[in-house]
Amino acid sequence: MENQDNTYGYTIKLLLLVLLVVVLPSVLYAQAGYIEITAPGNRLLKLAVVPPRSLGAPANAESAKLVSDIITSDMNMSGVIIAESRSQLSPVSELLLANVDFAPWQSAGFDLLVLGEYILKDGQLIIEFRLFDVINRKLISAKRYLASAKDLRRFSHTFADEILRVITGEKGVFTTRIAYVSTLTGNKEIYVMDWDGYNPLPLTKNGSINLNPDFSPDGSEIIFTSYKHGNPDLYRRSLSNTAEVVLSSRKGLNITGSWSPDGNKIALALSKDGDAEIYTLDRDGSHPVRLTINPALDLYPAWSPNGNQIAFVSDRLGKPQIFIMNTDGSDVRRLTTSGSYNVNPRWSPKGDKIAYSRMTDGGFNIFTVAVDGSSDTQLTFDGNNENPSWSADGRFICFSSKRSSGSGVYVMRTDGSGQTKVSQGKGTYYQPAWSSR
Amino acid sequence: MKKSKKLLTGIIMVSLFAGGCANKETVKKEEPVVPTVAVEKVEPAKPVDPIEQAEQAKQAEQAKLAEQAKQAEQTKQAEQAKVAQNETASQASITAAAENKFETVYFDFDKSELRQDARDVLSKNAEIILKSMPGAKIKIEGHCDERGSAEYNLALGENRAKSALKYFTTLGIKAENLSVISYGKEKPAVIGSDEAAWAKNRRAEFVIVK
Repeated sequence: MENQDNTYGYTIKLLLLVLLVVVLPSVLYAQAGYIEITAPGNRLLKLAVVPPRSLGAPANAESAKLVSDIITSDMNMSGVIIAESRSQLSPVSELLLANVDFAPWQSAGFDLLVLGEYILKDGQLIIEFRLFDVINRKLISAKRYLASAKDLRRFSHTFADEILRVITGEKGVFTTRIAYVSTLTGNKEIYVMDWDGYNPLPLTKNGSINLNPDFSPDGSEIIFTSYKHGNPDLYRRSLSNTAEVVLSSRKGLNITGSWSPDGNKIALALSKDGDAEIYTLDRDGSHPVRLTINPALDLYPAWSPNGNQIAFVSDRLGKPQIFIMNTDGSDVRRLTTSGSYNVNPRWSPKGDKIAYSRMTDGGFNIFTVAVDGSSDTQLTFDGNNENPSWSADGRFICFSSKRSSGSGVYVMRTDGSGQTKVSQGKGTYYQPAWSSR
Repeated sequence: MKKSKKLLTGIIMVSLFAGGCANKETVKKEEPVVPTVAVEKVEPAKPVDPIEQAEQAKQAEQAKLAEQAKQAEQTKQAEQAKVAQNETASQASITAAAENKFETVYFDFDKSELRQDARDVLSKNAEIILKSMPGAKIKIEGHCDERGSAEYNLALGENRAKSALKYFTTLGIKAENLSVISYGKEKPAVIGSDEAAWAKNRRAEFVIVK
């Protein structure tokens, strides 16, 4: 099919080509036997990203550079590609395959090349990207976006997602967001920002204590705990407007709410029947079902991606440790066997690992452990690091950190490499939660 | 399809043939051996801890003062009752005075069990309630120090408040007049990252609900 695409590509109109390329790759790259290029021992592919060329309207070099910088930064964070923002090596009159001179790119050591064109006029943005295979001299992907000028960052991230999909078979998470708690105003309020720290937006402004945001699977809402009416109650809030409803205001604690993968249930800790225990609620907050029955504290539920199991924190053996149970409360087993204080479990989207934070002498650090309890691995070593949360593709973990090189929300790859502070504002950051796609 | 496969193969071949171990920087250091007593270690050794002794001494002092104040109050009350026979006004002044008399109860690290000094303080607080304001609604606020996770501390703080509530009921205060709330580590009494500050933050406070 792409065969056709390439054969007739020169003769059909640009838009048609874009349409074809947009539709086809999902079929092409979903083939069985696809090899992820991150496997150890492989050389990383090198990508050159050229700032898009201005068409028609007066050029805006700053915006063009911003676009290539965003794509470069995203791709470098992914760890599967080495990207560089480069100026054009040879002039290109149009973004057609036949017009691109690949030789200088190849001799400069690049395997992949991103070129683009844009029109930025009266607040309107039309931007078009092409991803080329330098070695085989092929067009691999093309996308065209029409939007307002303020969406420049978003569509740069969108094409970075596309590049990652072409290279690895799975779309990136560069258009996702992170919700978090910040003391910027002096109170703990909830905010949401792009995954890379841009466009921070306050969600709560109630002057109370707001804690533990968690995204709905469709990314349109969050749940969180707030003291705004005195008691620590669980609320649900839309991200697109200010609609906010109380989900659970039962006597005592209504804390550490966690949305089920299908969006139909919410697991949380309630203390209405005594001490903190794990319950599930329907998504409207009704029909509480108690899962743990134990005189110890049970809290911080984390769903497995298939929705069949829940990891949680319990101090039933003396100190807080992480346990796993079925979603009906049966088959409780201890997950973490080393460390005297393990909390904040979050299940990886692939289902194989659980990230958590462990208190040691110098504060908390982030660990991951396989679901069978093996491969317990420390990922952070500097300062105090808490509340890990996975990106939807399982490639990254975000967490809050207080460390000498700066405090805030950090993002790292799931092997602990590439630890990068993404939050930009003042105040102290807590409890980041990564959105789904 | 063939060409696309060839392209994919091309990308894969490039990555396979070129050697390099760019991904070897993977952080997988040996996990440090965590002493299992790490957490317990920071807990004050009860009999010899100077802070606690100071705390207890201070509490004893406060208790003495409170007792004196209470006696003075009672004398005053008796006089007032005699002179004015105005029970309502008298009751209001007692309530206002009593509110400030409640002493804070302190706890050990990661514990919600009541120490002996905590029981003593609770007994004194209970006496104030039973004698001066038998029908008052009292809210018990549980708090934690800054160590430990915020979420776990919410649950721990609630258990501390509930320990105090339970003890109050054994002293004859009606459960329906008592409520609890936990603020975990969200509302420290003292800012600081040493045992002196932590000891002051692991506490239960008492508030009259108006």
